[in-house]
Amino acid sequence: MKRYFTNRLLLFVPTLMGSLTLVFFLIHFIPGDPVEVMLGETASSVDKEALRQELGLNQPLGIQYIRFFSALLQGDLGRSLYEQGAVAELILSRFPATMELTLAAMGIALFVAFPLGILAAVKKNSLMDRIALLFSLLGLAMPNFWLGPLLMIIFSIELGWLPVSGREGLAHLILPSFTLGMLMASILIRMVRSSLLETIHEDYIQTARAKGLSEWRVWLKHALGNSLLSVITIVGLQFGALLAGSIITETIFAWPGIGRLTIQAIQTRDYPLVQGCVLVISTSYLVVNFLTDILYHLADPRVSYGP
Amino acid sequence: MKFKPFFLLVFAWVWVSLAACLPSPRPDRPAGYLVIALESNPTHLDPRYATDANSVRIGGLIFNALTHTDQHARLQPELAERWEAVDERTYLFHLKKGVTFHDGKPLTAADVKFTYESVLDPRNRSPKRATLRLLKAVDAIGPYQVRFRLSAPYAPFLENSTFGIVPTGTPSHGASGENSLIGSGPFSLEQFSPGEKVVLKANPSYWGGQPGLSGLVFKMIPDAIVRSLEFKKGTVDFIQNDIEPDNLIWFKKNTNASILTQQGTIFQYLGMNLDHPILKILEVRQAIAYAIDREAIIRHLLKGLATPATGLLSPSHWAYERSVPRLPYDPEEAKRLLDHAGFPDPDGDGPLPRFKLSYKTTTLDLRRRIAEAFKEQLSRVGIELEVRTYEWGTFYGDIQKGNFHLYSLSWVGITDPDIYFNLFHSSSIVPYGNNRGRYRNPEIDRLLERGRNSLSPEERKQIYSQVQKILAVELPTIPLWWAKNVVLMKRNIEGFVPFPDGDLISLKNVSIASPLPPS
Repeated sequence: MKRYFTNRLLLFVPTLMGSLTLVFFLIHFIPGDPVEVMLGETASSVDKEALRQELGLNQPLGIQYIRFFSALLQGDLGRSLYEQGAVAELILSRFPATMELTLAAMGIALFVAFPLGILAAVKKNSLMDRIALLFSLLGLAMPNFWLGPLLMIIFSIELGWLPVSGREGLAHLILPSFTLGMLMASILIRMVRSSLLETIHEDYIQTARAKGLSEWRVWLKHALGNSLLSVITIVGLQFGALLAGSIITETIFAWPGIGRLTIQAIQTRDYPLVQGCVLVISTSYLVVNFLTDILYHLADPRVSYGP
Repeated sequence: MKFKPFFLLVFAWVWVSLAACLPSPRPDRPAGYLVIALESNPTHLDPRYATDANSVRIGGLIFNALTHTDQHARLQPELAERWEAVDERTYLFHLKKGVTFHDGKPLTAADVKFTYESVLDPRNRSPKRATLRLLKAVDAIGPYQVRFRLSAPYAPFLENSTFGIVPTGTPSHGASGENSLIGSGPFSLEQFSPGEKVVLKANPSYWGGQPGLSGLVFKMIPDAIVRSLEFKKGTVDFIQNDIEPDNLIWFKKNTNASILTQQGTIFQYLGMNLDHPILKILEVRQAIAYAIDREAIIRHLLKGLATPATGLLSPSHWAYERSVPRLPYDPEEAKRLLDHAGFPDPDGDGPLPRFKLSYKTTTLDLRRRIAEAFKEQLSRVGIELEVRTYEWGTFYGDIQKGNFHLYSLSWVGITDPDIYFNLFHSSSIVPYGNNRGRYRNPEIDRLLERGRNSLSPEERKQIYSQVQKILAVELPTIPLWWAKNVVLMKRNIEGFVPFPDGDLISLKNVSIASPLPPS
């Protein structure tokens, strides 16, 4: 197992390099010029050329690529072209907000999805089951850019309970995390329900029942534990996607996270900042997947990781 | 108990996230502060770097410049008591005495010299360096006199006296160090959280009198609907221009906001590539101008928040020329011009066009709807328009390279009429300037050269009047409209005077009469 985890950790490096290489070339190939954005419309072509030279943007792409990676190996993510500050500092100032939102959305999704998914499976074809499935269907059908303002109108304007947008304190986190968590909860409800229904027909469940265990104990202890593997896979994947893809929710709720920073960096062709954001997002994705692997083992010790 | 560790992790997860979100010790709105919603983030408050509108406007409240422009784009004294042109290459500014920075230190000629020299230093990468390219030296002659020496006569140089002065020694390390910026303006910087908010505190010892408010909070709210909801809830007090035209009706119906509209200076135009074999024909350009129904677009899509434009300079500008030819909506005249230019309609009212052109625009909803209106209106005279929408960076990259048939953009912050040189002089053809349509006219070149070398305001007014008349006939770009400024504020806000260029400087005179319930 130790060897398995060591191998997984070693795989981080080529995966990260691959994603950074891909993004490096993609962002350089799309049209647009960071120097135009930096110097503004009044700058002379001589000044633009001088700045291109100073930043090394007129060098062959291969050389720029090698320079980027050698700086990265020394822990230097560079300076943002547009915002002027150090890329690492800019990302560090935004990452906590994204992490906060993702964790809270994840928490809400799990706390909604597990009880509803379990109830729907236990009471299959009942009214409860239908309510849970309807809730899940609604969550899947409602896009964030619609659900967000709807929640704002109900809870902030009509009821006056919560703030509309921004990031000031706990109350500000509730609506964006619910908006973001809703889609994930909807997927998880169906996952938990179907995994449980698959497991419940296994022989060992019949054995547990034959031993005279209560029905709830059979469902929660024997069936749920064994059906967690597929749920964990989805949770892991979704967590990574949330870290990278909460741009719409961040924009609607004026949440100063990394998604908005990435979009702004792409629009201004701020190459170092785009690279930095991709590095953070890819690393988070890899770490979450790694943790998911550990969770597999915790959820089911029979899962082995090779010799 | 196989799943227990999993649930423990989930619990830990939630508690960590909740702990991370403990309420911030700073309240959303300190007492006496006015909350202003902004659509986009001000990138640099340091006046040496500020180029986007929000940075310039907020910076104008923190810093003072030697001069500022009034509502007619004329320069008025600010830190400078007066100034004079010693000769055609030398300007002498006499500074006001008794002006201090927020830290109490006096503002002197040495600070002015430092600010301009740090813009000129290529290591600092200031985007304003290009505008100072003719500045040879800045000399502090005594504590309250500054002399600017130019390498050649250049009338628009005075426009450069409008950017803010920072204290000597202010580092130029950009956004990350911008929380410690010090100016001499009516407000001092309390907090700058990029992407989130800017908080300014009133400067009680401001040389121009203490502001009427305790401070200002500029909140970044990118979504238009959310800005409206924040206003409705009462957590935002003031919005200027960051309002979708469609939302204005909602505001009128659902809030008791006080709404001010005023003619602005933002100029929207239709750009054309004059190297294109069809667009280089004057009659075609005139036909396009006649075929576009500006009034209808302004009425239906912009909800009345614009005025049909005759040219780049708005009527409030000192150099505006009123008597230029206008091109009203006249599709029949457009058809006649196209027939005459040698592009007859192949099948009358049938589906075949006279010719096809492409139109580039951004993915913004309003821009796309305007593009669809152009497409429809041009199709009525037999021109097929293919609308291509691009993400901003790609769109702007193409325009700057001159890679387009037709596009539409706006010019913001027009002050000196020398802007015509950058847009229409043949030496400014891209990539050397912003003559993106590649317009060439020796007469215009000659006039624009005279305009920037003449120091007489009367002579300059005459020169630019001729320039405006020629361009209105030649149509290297088609003027569309001047946007109106819209200000939405709570009824208890008093003393705000809108500026045509959207300047927020009059916030220093604003006060809150009495608290109001949420609108």
